[in-house]
Amino acid sequence: MLRFLARRVASGLAMLVAISTVAYLLIYLAGTDIARNLLGQNASEEAVAARAAELGLDRPLLERFIDWVSGAVRGDLGTSWFSGAPVTDLVTSRLGVTLSLVVLSTLLVAVIATVVGVLAAVRRGWVDRVLQVVSLVGAAIPNYLVALLLVTILAIQLQWFEPTGYVRPEVSLSGWAMSITLPVVALIISAIAAVAQQVRGSMIDGLRQDYVRTLRSRGLPEWRVIYLHVLRNAAGPALSVLALLFVGLLGGAVVIEQVFAIPGLGSLSVSTTTQGDVPVIMGVVVVVAIIVLIVNLAIDLLQGWLNPKARLS
Amino acid sequence: MRRRLVAAASAALVLGLAACTGGGGSDPTPTADDTQAPGSAESLTIGEISFPASFDVNGYSIAHYVQYFNAVFDTLVRQDGDGEIVPGLATEWAYDEARTTLTLTLRDDVTFTDGTPFNADAVVANVENFQASSTPDLSNAQYISDVTAVDDTHVQFTLSAPDPMLLTWFTGSLGFEASPASLTSPDVATNPVGSGPYVLDADATVIGSTYVFTKNPDYWDDSYVVYDTLTINYYETLTALLNAIQGGQVDVATFQDVTSLDQVEAAGYTLNTSQLDWSGLIFYDRDGTVDEALGDVRVRQAINYAFDRETILDVIQLGHGTATSQTFGEATGGYLPELDSYYDYDPDKARDLLAEAGYGDGLELVMPTMSALNQDLLTAIQQQLADIGITVTLTDTGANFITDLLGGKFTSSWLQLASAKDWQYAQLALVPNATFNMFGNESDDLAPLFTAMQSGTDEEAAAAAQDVNRYLVEEAWFAPFFRIDNFYVSKPGYSVTMAADNVTPYLYLIQPAS
Repeated sequence: MLRFLARRVASGLAMLVAISTVAYLLIYLAGTDIARNLLGQNASEEAVAARAAELGLDRPLLERFIDWVSGAVRGDLGTSWFSGAPVTDLVTSRLGVTLSLVVLSTLLVAVIATVVGVLAAVRRGWVDRVLQVVSLVGAAIPNYLVALLLVTILAIQLQWFEPTGYVRPEVSLSGWAMSITLPVVALIISAIAAVAQQVRGSMIDGLRQDYVRTLRSRGLPEWRVIYLHVLRNAAGPALSVLALLFVGLLGGAVVIEQVFAIPGLGSLSVSTTTQGDVPVIMGVVVVVAIIVLIVNLAIDLLQGWLNPKARLS
Repeated sequence: MRRRLVAAASAALVLGLAACTGGGGSDPTPTADDTQAPGSAESLTIGEISFPASFDVNGYSIAHYVQYFNAVFDTLVRQDGDGEIVPGLATEWAYDEARTTLTLTLRDDVTFTDGTPFNADAVVANVENFQASSTPDLSNAQYISDVTAVDDTHVQFTLSAPDPMLLTWFTGSLGFEASPASLTSPDVATNPVGSGPYVLDADATVIGSTYVFTKNPDYWDDSYVVYDTLTINYYETLTALLNAIQGGQVDVATFQDVTSLDQVEAAGYTLNTSQLDWSGLIFYDRDGTVDEALGDVRVRQAINYAFDRETILDVIQLGHGTATSQTFGEATGGYLPELDSYYDYDPDKARDLLAEAGYGDGLELVMPTMSALNQDLLTAIQQQLADIGITVTLTDTGANFITDLLGGKFTSSWLQLASAKDWQYAQLALVPNATFNMFGNESDDLAPLFTAMQSGTDEEAAAAAQDVNRYLVEEAWFAPFFRIDNFYVSKPGYSVTMAADNVTPYLYLIQPAS
């Protein structure tokens, strides 16, 4: 178990280094004139050059990257070139917002998709056919379009929700729930169908196995056969899909946060990328990468718990 | 046992992530304020499409950023809705005869929120800090050669040359007064210390999203209403801002999407308008140094006659604006109503002028473009010029549109420029070393007029500006299409006076309707 964990952590760290390196290179390859963005379009070339030198933009790329890495390993992600705020403060003030959206969305998708997938696999018939159609429709509609529809109908016309904004749970739990309802629904609509399809497929395969017939012949209640045995064996592929879904939801949150004006990591990454605020961009990259690695590690552990054979790989 | 450990480890990882949830984020959702009585001074929620990079002198602090700064900083003087200079931290001001020495008389009853008294030394410290910074507005102080504290309540500015814009600059970035002690503070960018009507609530503020201010209990000025709380919400997209307006979540907001104005009005908001900018073509190479054709006034005039300005305005701005042939705005002293229609739409006359100039077979112009520009407008430019035989080739400059223009890579382009103050506009686009006069065009006719605009009395300056305006129109230095309506929307219960020279009203111009 410990060796398994150590291997996963080591590979995770290697991934983190690779992601950071590639991201750092990509930022500068984008060719954004960062100093001019800071000073404005009317600034003189001399002023722009002076600010660029101040930020170290005239130094070799490798030198700048090493400086950043040496700070990052000490937990110092620097300060925003634009706002002067510590990157750590900027990121942590928004991290919880995005995580609350994505984690809640993932959990909801897991629960709802499991119920729907199991129903479709066990009942078949019209339940299964409805799932097929809904999957197709859900996958076809972009989540930002769903978001706009939800805002227009439920928030603006019916006034059941506020159209924009975010309420911290410590300020008001009910306010928090109301403020994230529409964004979460927009995020999960297409995702539920995809995961439910996966659960359905795995369950159908599982229900055909010989051991199921054996379990039934031993007189086990049908619900125990389905939920304690077949579902457990079918969960592995669905968990993998959920891990991918989590990463996808992190990306989807970028658009959703803009539509609902939610102060999360997504909106921060958009604004800072446009500006070329390298310290903040790298801070977001590192934090998101760590989150994704943690989630994948958790999924791996769950996979190992569900399927002992997976621990040997 | 091992399985339980594994399950516990994975659960702990997930719960660890979940434990991070919910933290941070903004204060409660921007309120719809439906429970606040109209005209009340409890709170003001503003919707904005920009947020300040920082609160120190190095960032933008005017245009869409000015309200953030108005909240925490007072200015030396203010502007009323007509653009007239009125007292702020300075109660009186006087120039010497040569207009190169300006003396301000300051209030003696103002204290910064850190307890530091506001006085002439504070003004000196702020001006010197401004001059030593890399602020985008550094040119505002270009004529200040010295600033001296005469005594606690008098500060004297010595200028290298008269600057008709100086008092106007004191209503904006050059005039924001921060506590001198804060200027060298390590958190000057995020923790502003001024004497303004509000104090930034750093705990409730989420940088880049929501800025929350509370009323300064010791504010010195009771001539206008200061709300108990001020919230400025940044909306990354116009869709989100429109949704917030339709949901009544903001009390006032900047709003520039003409296609959605009906929805804003349907939500019960009032449209407050002003005109600051003009949109059209600029001919940088009027001497024909690079582009010989543009050196001929007949070619430039022909281009002016080629445009159906009213139709362009209807299509691009849905009629929100004023078609014009001049670039001086209505608020300027140089504005002449009759010049709005100097060039009518006459493609035949345009072709005749081109033929007269020797370009009867047509000519080509290369102009820059970028994705952020209105492509419909650029297409209209191409089509209407093609109609008189001029082929416009658009070159994508990527993110370097302004850089390439300022570098003189193009001899003409579409542009949108502010034109609300005579001398400011002259320095922006007209004088030989103006920002957007990259080819350094000058004229013996214009030189004495610019001198009068800079050094003359207000009446002399206005008269000179009018002469400049006539010259520019007759010599077709530009081919403007229209002045753009600038919108600021407000709920009932809020009275908004538009600023004469800023896209958003200064904060003190937003008051309860009562």
